[in-house]
Amino acid sequence: MKGDTSPVPIGSMVPLTGPAAADGAEFRNGMILACEELNARGGLLGRPIQPIFADTCRQSAKEVVAAARWLIEKHKVHAIVNGYNIGAQNSEYEPIADAGIIYVHANTLLQHHDTVMSNPDRYFGCFMADPADYWYGPGFIKFISWLRDSGQWTPNSDRLAIISGSTPYSIVISNAMANAAASFGWRVCFGPKIVQTPTSKWRDVIEEVRATNPAVLANTHFYAGDLAHFQKQFVEKPMDCLVYLQYGAVHRTFTDIAQEASNGVIVSSIIGLLRDEMGKRFEARYKARFGDGSTPTIGCQSYGNMHHYAIGAAMAGGSGAPGDFEQNRKVAFALKGMIYRTVHGTIRYHPDWQAVVPYPVMTHDPSLGMPHIFYQIQDHREPLSMIAPEPYNTERFVLPPWMNKRSAKPKPALVNSRGLTDF
Amino acid sequence: MPLRTSAAPLVQPMDDRRTSLQGGVVELAPIWDGLDAIDIGILVWSPDRVLIYINEGFHRGCGLPVALGMQYDEYVAAVAQSHEWVLPSAPDDWAQETIRDFGVINEADYQFATGNIMHVAQRPAAQGGMVVTFTDVTAVKRNERELREAKEAAEATDEAKSRFLRAANHDLRQPLASLKILIYNCLREQDEEQRSEILHAMGVAASIMEDLLGALLQIGQLDAGRIQPRITSFQLSDLFDRLRIQFRHQAQEKGLRLRFVTPNKTVSTDRALLERILSNFVANAIRFTEVGSVLIGCRKEGRGLRIEVVDTGRGIKEEDCDRVFQEFYRVADDNRAQKKGLGLGLNIVMRLAELLEHPIRLRSKVGKGSIFSVWIPLGNIWHSENGLAAEITEAVAGEFAGTPVLLVEDDEILRESMAQLLRRWGIDVHSAANEENALRLVADGAEPELIIADYNLQTRTGLDVINAIRKAAGEDTPAIVVTADAEPKVINGIREAGVPVLIKPVSPPRLRVLMHNLLFEPDVHRQTGS
Repeated sequence: MKGDTSPVPIGSMVPLTGPAAADGAEFRNGMILACEELNARGGLLGRPIQPIFADTCRQSAKEVVAAARWLIEKHKVHAIVNGYNIGAQNSEYEPIADAGIIYVHANTLLQHHDTVMSNPDRYFGCFMADPADYWYGPGFIKFISWLRDSGQWTPNSDRLAIISGSTPYSIVISNAMANAAASFGWRVCFGPKIVQTPTSKWRDVIEEVRATNPAVLANTHFYAGDLAHFQKQFVEKPMDCLVYLQYGAVHRTFTDIAQEASNGVIVSSIIGLLRDEMGKRFEARYKARFGDGSTPTIGCQSYGNMHHYAIGAAMAGGSGAPGDFEQNRKVAFALKGMIYRTVHGTIRYHPDWQAVVPYPVMTHDPSLGMPHIFYQIQDHREPLSMIAPEPYNTERFVLPPWMNKRSAKPKPALVNSRGLTDF
Repeated sequence: MPLRTSAAPLVQPMDDRRTSLQGGVVELAPIWDGLDAIDIGILVWSPDRVLIYINEGFHRGCGLPVALGMQYDEYVAAVAQSHEWVLPSAPDDWAQETIRDFGVINEADYQFATGNIMHVAQRPAAQGGMVVTFTDVTAVKRNERELREAKEAAEATDEAKSRFLRAANHDLRQPLASLKILIYNCLREQDEEQRSEILHAMGVAASIMEDLLGALLQIGQLDAGRIQPRITSFQLSDLFDRLRIQFRHQAQEKGLRLRFVTPNKTVSTDRALLERILSNFVANAIRFTEVGSVLIGCRKEGRGLRIEVVDTGRGIKEEDCDRVFQEFYRVADDNRAQKKGLGLGLNIVMRLAELLEHPIRLRSKVGKGSIFSVWIPLGNIWHSENGLAAEITEAVAGEFAGTPVLLVEDDEILRESMAQLLRRWGIDVHSAANEENALRLVADGAEPELIIADYNLQTRTGLDVINAIRKAAGEDTPAIVVTADAEPKVINGIREAGVPVLIKPVSPPRLRVLMHNLLFEPDVHRQTGS
């Protein structure tokens, strides 16, 4: 018996214009590649998957909600699968929950946990396929402590300065860093100070930080261009401290603007393409399809999410159109139950949060969490060096060029009168 | 048993099973089948030591390379060299002995290479020759061993308990005797002040008994193997903080300096059990030190840390250093107010340290002080439990966590549901039904960073209330008006007053965005005017 062969419409809300258009293009690429691969293997139970893209422009709540409505009402999409849209603050969950379809995104927002848990029945279909922003905080503190304790770097003090952007994302990360610091032997000597972003003017706040003489300086704002200006202004008169810049510095735009000033910067992402065989094969396929200028480490997000969704829907016996709550609940059940290893690590949804958990900060088992990857820009002309965590790292940390070389060598331990060691 | 008596000697070759025997009409096949069905392996040897029968049970259970027609010597040599059996002596010696014992009543247990234990028994046949049976007794032996171990453990526990109760008896009797005297005195005492002193002493005696019983319970649990360590990685600094809080006052009361040299290290052990060990060390150090200080710090030692508790107390004689870890051991010369020492703390420490496999050490000099220490392995910092709440929610980690907000709403149900929503986001909600209550909250110390007011309050508008609160709490305190009145005139009026407005029912995401902008991105708010 020949079944239904009509296309399955899948929506994707991506910023094709506006400040995040570069990311939006990659999210679109990821969706296209995933759908092409899936369709080449027979689609979703014999039905071709048809991606439909809605532009979320500046990613405001209004624009993202409008995009979700347009996809549901006009195109009757069975699911919305995409990368991230910042600024919507979960507003888009409402039309999606009303329609009872599946929504998989990488918004990196702690509020996803609360929204889902506030009414699990209503938001049964909403999944966040990357860990919440919050995890950047304790993950970062463990990272710098690991550098310190493993002798890769000897900080000149226990002082940590935190500059925050003014978005909820940056504020949540800054607060989480500050809260985790003391347990690992760090003292917050500055901030978290919220700077009104976007901005390219950082000199004033850098001078304020200088007065506190930190061993580590973290900036949780995440626009690549703004961060590049921050770094250029920092190296004009550098301090003897590590510099950590939030996610945006992984972008090519950052090194394009900051150039040599980028070298030595540490940056992290709780979702990024791994450099193992699986990741490399994906990278090759992606570049072959979209050209050498494309960025597979961003496109992989929507790519992995789409594959995972398609397998889940197949396990459930098919996807469900708007209004088909019963079928979509089956798909949601399959997504929750299935641990899926994709090119950027493991997608395993926490049973209550319906969000992915991070490795190693929350789960200690790399097969159960998405790796929080730490990169260092060691040569701005080269790809970023992946320096943590094991077993995914491919390079080692090197002391940034602006730092005092002497601090790389272990200092004699401080000894008190009874000979006990201060570590 | 006509069948057995009528049967000829069992020298029938296996392929001749169905041959009727001389003088009989007995079909032997069912007998062979029956012997094949049992789990016991059977070998039958003829008087001239030739193997004449093998049942299926032997093949199933033993798997040795034997064949009908085989000579006994050949069979024994094959077994001796097969390495399938664990032999009690050298293979050649065993073979010689076994060959010599052909036809003798004999039995022994052999362990097979598979781990099974086989009971091998041989019996002579009536007309010469011999039968050997092989019975798998693995399960029987295992049960026997388990029973024996359980019995030994029970006896050991029983002995420990008896010894313990004898010792505890003395220590429990003392406070109990005091208590009886005190009760008697208390009944007769008329003076209120004296009475209260006696009651206080009774309280002390009761608490000593309570401590003793608590310690006994702990030791009982350790003896019974009920304490299972849960090894995790964690930051030692968190543990030191807890100890500092626990002992700060005790040290202060005695005028001792209590100092922690806190390391940044991750350690790998059972957090609660290590805390028990260290708190015992610190409590002892404070108890037995009259002047000076108690210092808690660490040294690197191999792949771990040695945590040391150093005191400037009276010290312990060298010959007593081992005995302090024994049950009910107490320093002998003690006539001062050391009654709280039970002599069990260090015994518990020793047992816990043994359980965790963390070596403990004591170095001491009489009159100078003591250093009690425990060694613990270092842990992986990436696996460190950083005291995070198991459930990370906005209430603990969201952008609004801890932000004070003043909510004015006269409808009780709406006020409560709005407060609930705000609390879910971690907001410190101060709610009031009217202007008067709101002003009282501000006067009582609430310092709102944001005001959310209903427009249609009973006697005043939300704008009036906001203005009044701003006068008390700060003119530039951001505010939001919520209203069910969608009349454009009203909405415009509020907006013209420079206060953003949300229409009821309030959409949580809208409220969130507006609050974020007012609190953290006022420039964005001014530009968009949302």
